[in-house]
Amino acid sequence: MISTDPWIWLSALLSISCFSLLYGDNKAFRWAETTYTASVIGHSVVTGLVTLRDRFYPLYTGAQPQYIVPLILGILSIFIVWRKYAWLATISMALMIGVGTGISMRALIATDIIANTRAVIGETAGILKGSPADQLGNLIRVVFTIAALWYFVFTLIPKGPTAKPFSWIQTIGKYALIAYIGVAVGNTMQQFTGCATSAIYRIVGLWLGFG
Amino acid sequence: MSATVTYIRTYLAQAVIIVGCLAMLIGYFLVSPEAGRVADELNIWNMNVGTFTLFVGIITIFMRYGRSIINRDPNWLFHLYCLVVIALWVPFGTLTGVYSDLYQTLYLNTKITLHITIIGEMIFFCVSAMYRTFRIKSFRTFVLAFLAALMIVFNAPWLTTPFPQVGDAAYWLLNNPQMAAARAMVICGGIGGIILGIRILLGLEKGALRITGG
Amino acid sequence: MAKIPELKSQYIWLVALILFLIPAVNPLGAPFAMSDVTVKIYDLMQSLPEKSIVVMGGASVFAFDIESSPGMIACLKQMAARHLRLVTFPLGTEAAQYHKFCIDAARVDQKYGGPWKYGVDYVLLPYTPGGSAALISFLKSVEATVTLDINGVPINQLPLMRDFHSYKDIAVWMCPHWGFIDIIRYATGECGVISVSFAQSAAYATFSPYMMAYPGKVYMTNGYVGGAQYERLVGIKGLGHKVVDSYSLISVLIPALIILGNITMIVRMKEEEVEAKE
Repeated sequence: MISTDPWIWLSALLSISCFSLLYGDNKAFRWAETTYTASVIGHSVVTGLVTLRDRFYPLYTGAQPQYIVPLILGILSIFIVWRKYAWLATISMALMIGVGTGISMRALIATDIIANTRAVIGETAGILKGSPADQLGNLIRVVFTIAALWYFVFTLIPKGPTAKPFSWIQTIGKYALIAYIGVAVGNTMQQFTGCATSAIYRIVGLWLGFG
Repeated sequence: MSATVTYIRTYLAQAVIIVGCLAMLIGYFLVSPEAGRVADELNIWNMNVGTFTLFVGIITIFMRYGRSIINRDPNWLFHLYCLVVIALWVPFGTLTGVYSDLYQTLYLNTKITLHITIIGEMIFFCVSAMYRTFRIKSFRTFVLAFLAALMIVFNAPWLTTPFPQVGDAAYWLLNNPQMAAARAMVICGGIGGIILGIRILLGLEKGALRITGG
Repeated sequence: MAKIPELKSQYIWLVALILFLIPAVNPLGAPFAMSDVTVKIYDLMQSLPEKSIVVMGGASVFAFDIESSPGMIACLKQMAARHLRLVTFPLGTEAAQYHKFCIDAARVDQKYGGPWKYGVDYVLLPYTPGGSAALISFLKSVEATVTLDINGVPINQLPLMRDFHSYKDIAVWMCPHWGFIDIIRYATGECGVISVSFAQSAAYATFSPYMMAYPGKVYMTNGYVGGAQYERLVGIKGLGHKVVDSYSLISVLIPALIILGNITMIVRMKEEEVEAKE
């Protein structure tokens, strides 16, 4: 039984308009695309207004009067949109860049480099321990990590007697990266299948009433 | 005079970057209550300034689409429709409340539906792309195509149900060869990120300040 | 040998569309196996003491996060049944809507007949800008970061928030978002909080090194299949089960097309060789 809910009708028509791109570019797809743009912008503005209320509530109540500084800096940051007046946003951008850089640097050191290096060292110790599958897994992890790092770091192979061993390790690294891409692409098919299932169910199940 | 102002602005911006960055690092790595307080306050200021980035989109879109409507560019009617929808959406959302059930229904049935459909369309493009591009002409392409097809099949319920070991094999592939290469990228990305941070601290990297002339 | 023509993309899309329509019209109920990591996450949540505070938070895009929703909705049902408490902390503009969607879909609130009461058992916090900066501030001091909930009520008036001040009060951080890396870096890496993600299948590839870097602290399921497994453990049938049905058909089509594409290529190569000899 076809749905009588106007929201379901709207979402079904938008979904069909979007799928019409498979047939070719057309006005229906343009309508869907434009509606998407409008909803994204509209939502960000509505969220922005609510967030302003929440973020500057302590300034409004007088609990944190120093928040007048980020309020002024925030208003100035909007001027980045106009090339002629973008200079007004300099200090606001500098604050965001400085704080963001400091935060990311500390995480990159601790998590991305040290924690991962510690994991490689731990796996090296595990090459001779555990079940055969675990041992093979640890061996592959260590070899592939080092080889792929080698591939990234030594982009130019030095000439001389070390050229051959260098290029062998580079080749292993290359195949490690190809394996990463292949497995990742194969695994990602779930995501696209799921989104298509959700969209088609909306049309066939919720709107038309099948299934 | 303007050269002096530019000079002061440039060095003031650099000083703000250094103070912000060092406050975050010192506040975390060293036990200093004063540095911690400065870091916390700057963090909250950063969050509050970041709120205003949500309004950049509407200004840009009105400028761009407004120009297109005035000049009657191609698709100007769609641009007008877009601006009208935004002009209706914002008061509607503000009056009903962004976390209300009514707003949630509108949002789910428009933006989210469209976005999910756009991503879902990718499966069709992926399926035809895999037919055309996964052609095995060398050992490299064989490895790529074989592992991709293997992963698709190893996640399939028609294989994992009679042979549960296949599901374990899928996780083994994900957690061993695939993870190792991803880890190399993470480590290299981390090194690159730190170098970029040091360059920003030293003023060698302008980034977003380039557009502000800072 | 007969010449095999290149298939037009439109024919391939038509076949794919038919394969999607079959389970949409007539659900197959395809069976699927269980994975160890999904069971581990389920047991972890079962082992939490009553009244433990779980945070659901992170940043990403709703349409990507829909892949995490089967597992997340099932987990919310489990949490409500276990009398755990939930605080949401969205770091993206769409994350707040996504959290509300998951909670409404799980039907855990008393208005749907569930056991949870707003303010006592769960609290929805509004979007907080700043990304990782907001996360760091939240982990250090909740009151300093957030002052109002999504309804504009000061958080110190909510009973649950009187027990929640910093990362020390968090039992598990659930992140059904692509921005799981920030949660691992700051919540797990810096504060030692156990973090769990019903990871998107594309994201699993990116996050797996972090899972290995923090064994016993970071857990992830894999895409819709992991979500369907969690739905089964909790005893519900949702989007995860639907996707497993579709995927069981698409997973036959794609390898078949790869094989067909290579056969087409080999046949053409042989014909070109014969033509070149002539």
